[in-house]
Amino acid sequence: MERFIADLVKRFEDGKITRRQFCETVALAATVYAAGESAANAAPTQGFKMISVNHISYACPDYRKARDFYTSVLGMQNAKDDGKSRANLTFGPKRGGNYFIARNAQPTNTPPAKSVVDHVCYTISNWNDARVNATLKTHGLNPTGRSGSVNVLDPFNYSVQLASSEAENPFI
Amino acid sequence: MQGFVATKLNEFEQGKISRRKLIETLALAATALYSTGAEATPAAEPGLQVALVNHISYTCPNFKQAGDWYSKVFNLDQVGLKDTEVTLPFGKKGEKPYDVTAKDVPLTFIICRTRDLNAAPANGQPRPQSQAVVNHIAYTIADYDRAKVLAELKRMGFDNPREDGEHSFHIADPFGYDVQISGINMTALTGG
Repeated sequence: MERFIADLVKRFEDGKITRRQFCETVALAATVYAAGESAANAAPTQGFKMISVNHISYACPDYRKARDFYTSVLGMQNAKDDGKSRANLTFGPKRGGNYFIARNAQPTNTPPAKSVVDHVCYTISNWNDARVNATLKTHGLNPTGRSGSVNVLDPFNYSVQLASSEAENPFI
Repeated sequence: MQGFVATKLNEFEQGKISRRKLIETLALAATALYSTGAEATPAAEPGLQVALVNHISYTCPNFKQAGDWYSKVFNLDQVGLKDTEVTLPFGKKGEKPYDVTAKDVPLTFIICRTRDLNAAPANGQPRPQSQAVVNHIAYTIADYDRAKVLAELKRMGFDNPREDGEHSFHIADPFGYDVQISGINMTALTGG
């Protein structure tokens, strides 16, 4: 905006536009700018505004093993456990955070999807390669990967990735 | 650290781990902690703490179709288009994840991919078959209002979304994958 106004002033000073044109142009520019801001902040006109992943539903042969793995290795908190077939494990911010449902797989009549979530990656804040690898090895895991990102298998051979913001960032 | 040691000691006493394993585990745990200076926080356990979902890796027959669907339903931009995948961040560049204060936690994103999951990995090691599945993902949307969400779903052609509790509906994406759309009030304590 500043550049636009500066150019406009120069044109006015050079006598290329009148005072009236100058004022009208600035006013119009301000209106367009404000409309753009409003539009940018408004709710989408179609579809939904995504905030975050709410939860991951993970079905396996024994939810207890999954619960124990995801709490002890990844630091998730066991928030709700029915003691029979499922547990809800929380992580992230209190509001808008994520949770992980570890559940025993149940038979279903739903046709299988043609697609799959083949792995989930979790961000670790304050990443330190040595610490992450050593901690995973403490739990008997065999991390593979690169600096800032490792992969391990959970008790049911599901692929779990852990990463830093530098290694896994949609804009880098 | 003390809690971790007690747990491992219990496992040893119950015969779940050998003496050698106990020693190795505790030595490694202590080394890991001391190498990072974590000993200054006595309550710290030698585990990690995940901050947020970084990304969902979604493999399907047509990644472009999937990308377009998720873009349309959740208003997501597409970045990082490659031959076999596209990335959809949950926001614009420079934005922070909802309610996250740490500076090193990026926006969550979905990677829609088309690839052969049965192909031999680059390292030549056989890929073990997973006994678990992520059978659905739920996404939190802003300003959840049941009537408005239902109306918008129907406008987009989802005639029979399955309601799940007070704060969510289930729909299927183009490949039959179960996608749950949730309000922020659906939590680990209230939701399924």
